Amino acid sequence: MKRKLLLVGLAVFAFVFTMQAQGLMGKLKQKAEQAAEKALEKKAKEKAGVETNDSDSDSNSSSGNSSSSSNSRSNPANKGGGGLVTAPPDVKQNLSDAESAFKTASYGEARYAVQQAMLGVEMEIGNKVLKSLPETVSGLPKQEEYDKVTSTGWGWVGLTIQREYLKDDKQLRTTIANNAAWMSSVNMYLANGGYAQQTNGEQNWKQVKVKGNRAVIEYDDASGYKLSVPLGQSSLIVFEGVNFASEQEMMNAANTFDIEGIKNTLGEK
Amino acid sequence: MKNIFSAILCLGLTITLTAQDFDKNLATARSSYSSGNLEDARFAMQQMLNDIDVLVGKEMIKLLPAKLESLNANVTNDNVTANTGLAGVLVHRDYGTGEKTANLDLMSNSPLIGSLNAILSLPFVGNSGDGTQKVVKVQGYKGVLQKSVDTETNKTDYTLQIPIKNTLLTFVVNNTTEAEILKMANAIPVAEIVKLVQ
Repeated sequence: MKRKLLLVGLAVFAFVFTMQAQGLMGKLKQKAEQAAEKALEKKAKEKAGVETNDSDSDSNSSSGNSSSSSNSRSNPANKGGGGLVTAPPDVKQNLSDAESAFKTASYGEARYAVQQAMLGVEMEIGNKVLKSLPETVSGLPKQEEYDKVTSTGWGWVGLTIQREYLKDDKQLRTTIANNAAWMSSVNMYLANGGYAQQTNGEQNWKQVKVKGNRAVIEYDDASGYKLSVPLGQSSLIVFEGVNFASEQEMMNAANTFDIEGIKNTLGEK
Repeated sequence: MKNIFSAILCLGLTITLTAQDFDKNLATARSSYSSGNLEDARFAMQQMLNDIDVLVGKEMIKLLPAKLESLNANVTNDNVTANTGLAGVLVHRDYGTGEKTANLDLMSNSPLIGSLNAILSLPFVGNSGDGTQKVVKVQGYKGVLQKSVDTETNKTDYTLQIPIKNTLLTFVVNNTTEAEILKMANAIPVAEIVKLVQ
């Protein structure tokens, strides 16, 4: 029963986490699209010589609303705001907060402050790693707008760093996961040959080495190549190549990365 | 009496040690961060979280009653495990010897608790048709009470789980009745425990 609950809990946690991220992205996208549409409409009207009067159209629409729902009051729509400040938490400030909370025996507060400080440091580590990644890989330029560092401050989720390279329909996605509690067992499994080797025709993965690091490469017709390289004790770098012509091409792409440098930044031995 | 005294002394000593560890790790975190050694700063902060967790666990143990009904606490079995990450801090105490025993486990600051709590507080999960599980209230906190009957000895065991914010309290009593486990549970200072972890 406990185990079941634990499993369901894990699933819900993961689900909520991804849903939140997706929801936010969706909203951002929607906002951007709305803004772009509005700008285009305005330009087109200006060219056509039509007078644009935003307040007019607004009042029209609002009067339309009131007539359609004469009995119910409509709430005003949000026309935009400053959004949220997304700067990572101030590490030094949080450490000081932790110290003072600890001294007054407010352990819950102290814990929260340390976690915030950790979040700040993790974001900084992530950005440092992103900066160290190559600008282009196998002729594919980086897609800077998709650079992403995710950290929750919880030890078991750890830190994930994402970078994408794209040209036409060829894509390389790089994900670096660091310091997650579950990572050490995954690394142990991969680096010690947990994958069994098959000799029949359905071999779709095998063990390889990337700059001296043991790794596993997989191929799937639908998703392409996937190369997982465990780094040290608790980090993992995963390369996913879409429309790469061969295993060699995929390996060449992975070899462009300074794996030792990433390892050092993440403090892995 | 002598034993209790030395146990308290030991506990006090470990707490001072942990407080010192916290200060030491804080100093390391600060200096590593200032010198740009982010990875070491992060490691020191993780240690700080551990220190706090152990300290909170020990404070929790201090709050627990020395006796629940007729069962005496086995203080030698008291245990605090801090595990930054998956499990958070685990606090264990058991009561009684022989046929009737009670086990009290507190798990807090774990990322799992949130979702677990959400599940436990869903009314349709809480109540089962066969009467083996129901939702009860202990000191104003909702919890799930499960009953299990040992097929060999025909004795009844009860498990009470109370999810409170980021803490899960699990209380298991062997060979007991519903009324008795609830009476025992009411002697646990739940509100004070919650205050500690908030």
